[in-house]
Amino acid sequence: MPKLHVRVQRQRPDTQARYDHFDVEVPDDANVIDVIEACWRQDQNLMYRHACHHASCGTCAVRVDGKEVLPCIVPLAACKPGDMTIEPLRNFPVVGDLVVDVSAFFQRQAAAGMVITRDAEETIDGHPFEPSELLQPDGKLERRHYNRFENCVECGICLSACPTLSATDGFFGPAGLAAVHRAWEKTTDETERAALLDLADREGGVWQCHGAFECSEACPQDFDPAGAIMDLRRALIRRKVGALFGR
Amino acid sequence: MPAPHVVIVGAGSTGSACAHDLALRGLRVTVVERGEFSNATTGRNHCLLHSGGRYAVTDQESAIECIDENLILRKIMPDALELNDGLFVALTEEDLAFKIKFIAGCAACHIPYRELTPAQALAREPLLNPKLLAAVQVPDGVFEPWRFSMAFLASARSNGAVCRSYTEVVELVRHNGSVTGVKVLDRVTGKTETIGCDLVVNAAGPWAGEVAGFGGIEVPVQPTAGIMVTVGRRMNNMVVNRLDKPSDGDIVVPQRTTSIIGTTSWTVTDPDAIDIPPQHIQKMLEKGIELLPEIATVTTRGVGAAARPLIKRARQDERDVSRTFECFDHARDGGVEGFVSISGGKTTTARGMAEKLGDLVTRKLGLSVECRTRNTPLLSYRLFYQ
Repeated sequence: MPKLHVRVQRQRPDTQARYDHFDVEVPDDANVIDVIEACWRQDQNLMYRHACHHASCGTCAVRVDGKEVLPCIVPLAACKPGDMTIEPLRNFPVVGDLVVDVSAFFQRQAAAGMVITRDAEETIDGHPFEPSELLQPDGKLERRHYNRFENCVECGICLSACPTLSATDGFFGPAGLAAVHRAWEKTTDETERAALLDLADREGGVWQCHGAFECSEACPQDFDPAGAIMDLRRALIRRKVGALFGR
Repeated sequence: MPAPHVVIVGAGSTGSACAHDLALRGLRVTVVERGEFSNATTGRNHCLLHSGGRYAVTDQESAIECIDENLILRKIMPDALELNDGLFVALTEEDLAFKIKFIAGCAACHIPYRELTPAQALAREPLLNPKLLAAVQVPDGVFEPWRFSMAFLASARSNGAVCRSYTEVVELVRHNGSVTGVKVLDRVTGKTETIGCDLVVNAAGPWAGEVAGFGGIEVPVQPTAGIMVTVGRRMNNMVVNRLDKPSDGDIVVPQRTTSIIGTTSWTVTDPDAIDIPPQHIQKMLEKGIELLPEIATVTTRGVGAAARPLIKRARQDERDVSRTFECFDHARDGGVEGFVSISGGKTTTARGMAEKLGDLVTRKLGLSVECRTRNTPLLSYRLFYQ
């Protein structure tokens, strides 16, 4: 059982941040979420978010030794031995300790209009999907597409890693713009597509991004928000050029 | 006269669905959760939207509840489910013998099913153990537990419910033999306060015994832990189950880019101190490899365990405890008024559990309002934050 000295940022909305120290022992194969839980067992006033422990809910995101991670999928073996510093995400208001207020984030996600599921594009062995047969209650079969949850788990890591958000107010943020991009890719309705491009084109939209690509670097789900932002920029340029030539 | 006020303790899938049910019936609702919403039993469940197939032979009461709720959730929560069906796969002659009982069980519980030949199954699931002898397809599905609960809470909130996380019940307030409120500790402010109400619903899952204990009340809940091991690659399109009665490591649930192998079952005394036995992780991987051999080649991504709130009955092994649920009216037999508990069940059946609980609560409060959750589409989980 490895022993670990853990510094955890403690804060309430009306107090200055400070660091509390915990000495914990966790199993060899523990993940960082187990370290946070071991601290909580010593002090149940420690506030942290978690639910699924397999990178699906997206609730547990924090910074470990300065880097944004989902602690539920980071093995202790991947961290430096002996000690660790755990802090809340940046660019979000702190509710308490490691818990940040995700309200504004989810309001933007809702505004972006991406449905969290999609028709699956290919099977696990990389073939295009044939429509599946869904069993109906009367025993008859309905042909329908397999579907998938989107890869983005809405954890907020990309917002915390974003230097544009740290420097400026009003930026829609990488996850939100990636969601706009996904919604834009998914629909064939030209009116909807135009409205989504308008959303990306607004002040605080894709043009405000400094292009640091920190978001894609930090994303635990390989969702590539920066790539999505660049793709939206290209689409907007095409639209503007097209408009110049009356197309 | 204002509507009666109900406090719900616990915002896992059960408490969240109860909040939605009661708010939709016009009651004033406050739901308190001591941590993040659905951070425990619901959060770390298997994500399986049950078709009922898993219980079609051993626990038909649960199986029928599952298929009924599965079909309702497809209508009221359409955007938050992966609906790719499930396969029950026979690997041995023994499994093949179980198939006859399984099909009879599905028919008895009105669970749609379809038999597939090994070749048909392999065409749909190329990574299945190629030695399979038979497969049966059923309408299993996959959900995301946190978003599942948040959809119920978003809907409850839009109907006026107050939903408070990081708010822990520390005492039941009693007056003349009735429960009249809860004393809570707000972890953000560090202050305790009393929330008065007409009735308290104890939906604290494996902590239901502890919450009831604050009022000297007993709830026969047996916290029973189970482990989930998630691997770093999606191995299956559909849910893959072993065609046998439920046992350890007999199911692999795909979700997004991963697959989740589960589960085991062991009794715990303290649901806050679940230490995962390392041999359970190994066992999950070994059993998973029997169904999908390529699991041997991928990395483990996450491991989690939480306690289920099974209802304790005398002389039963924990696998044989029914997975159905019960509402306890503690006023019965001269007990305590103003306090009901709901326990057992599963996330798939949370709406149905809440309907029964809502019927009991409204009857106790002298109201006659019908449940409307069956046909009311839930809001997106994101709208909780509006």
